[in-house]
Amino acid sequence: MASKALISLSTLLLIHSCYSAHEHSLLTPASTSNALPLDIVIETILSVLLLCLGIVLGNKEELKPISWSVWSGMLEREKGCGQFGYLEERVGFLDIRVKRAEFAKWVKGAEEGSS
Amino acid sequence: MNAEEKDLQINPVVPENVVHNTKTITDIRSLTSSIFGIAAGILGLESYSGFIFYLLGSFIVSVMMVVFIAGGKPQNYFRSASEIWTTEVFSGSSLSSFILTWTLFFGLLRA
Repeated sequence: MASKALISLSTLLLIHSCYSAHEHSLLTPASTSNALPLDIVIETILSVLLLCLGIVLGNKEELKPISWSVWSGMLEREKGCGQFGYLEERVGFLDIRVKRAEFAKWVKGAEEGSS
Repeated sequence: MNAEEKDLQINPVVPENVVHNTKTITDIRSLTSSIFGIAAGILGLESYSGFIFYLLGSFIVSVMMVVFIAGGKPQNYFRSASEIWTTEVFSGSSLSSFILTWTLFFGLLRA
């Protein structure tokens, strides 16, 4: 949020300094030395620095650690599941006879209910 | 097996995160370099001073990235510690986008 405000403010500054430089180059005759006034220079440099700061702050918290151990530890702490979660949370053996009995009971119950 | 391979075996890296980090840096570089081009055009810099301005600006952006994004520890996020300072400064599209906006704004304001 702060970065967005910073970006919009410094963009306004940059546009204003660009406009001022344009007016300055229009209003001074070509024969005289047309160095920019100091305030336009300062405004330009300040706006560019603020704009860069806003862009950098807008991309904060985006880097991810490349070390596998650090990354896995972070995932396990924050999500409760690391990179090998699919290996750690596997079902044990199914008791297929109990499942069949349950299914048979359910089918019977459905038939009785419909008829 | 040389020392570097052995080090990789002991401390493996996550390739997706390396790619992601490099992409983040590349995005910031290409945005900021075109903004530096705008500033150089407004200031009316010519020849070497423009490139010195670009180098100085890239250095400042690198310092900002090290401090604010990497939290002062770029070795946690990149294979080599110098990567955050040098990626995309001369290679890739950053320098050409700087020259593009530099010449564009110079021409708009001074012509």
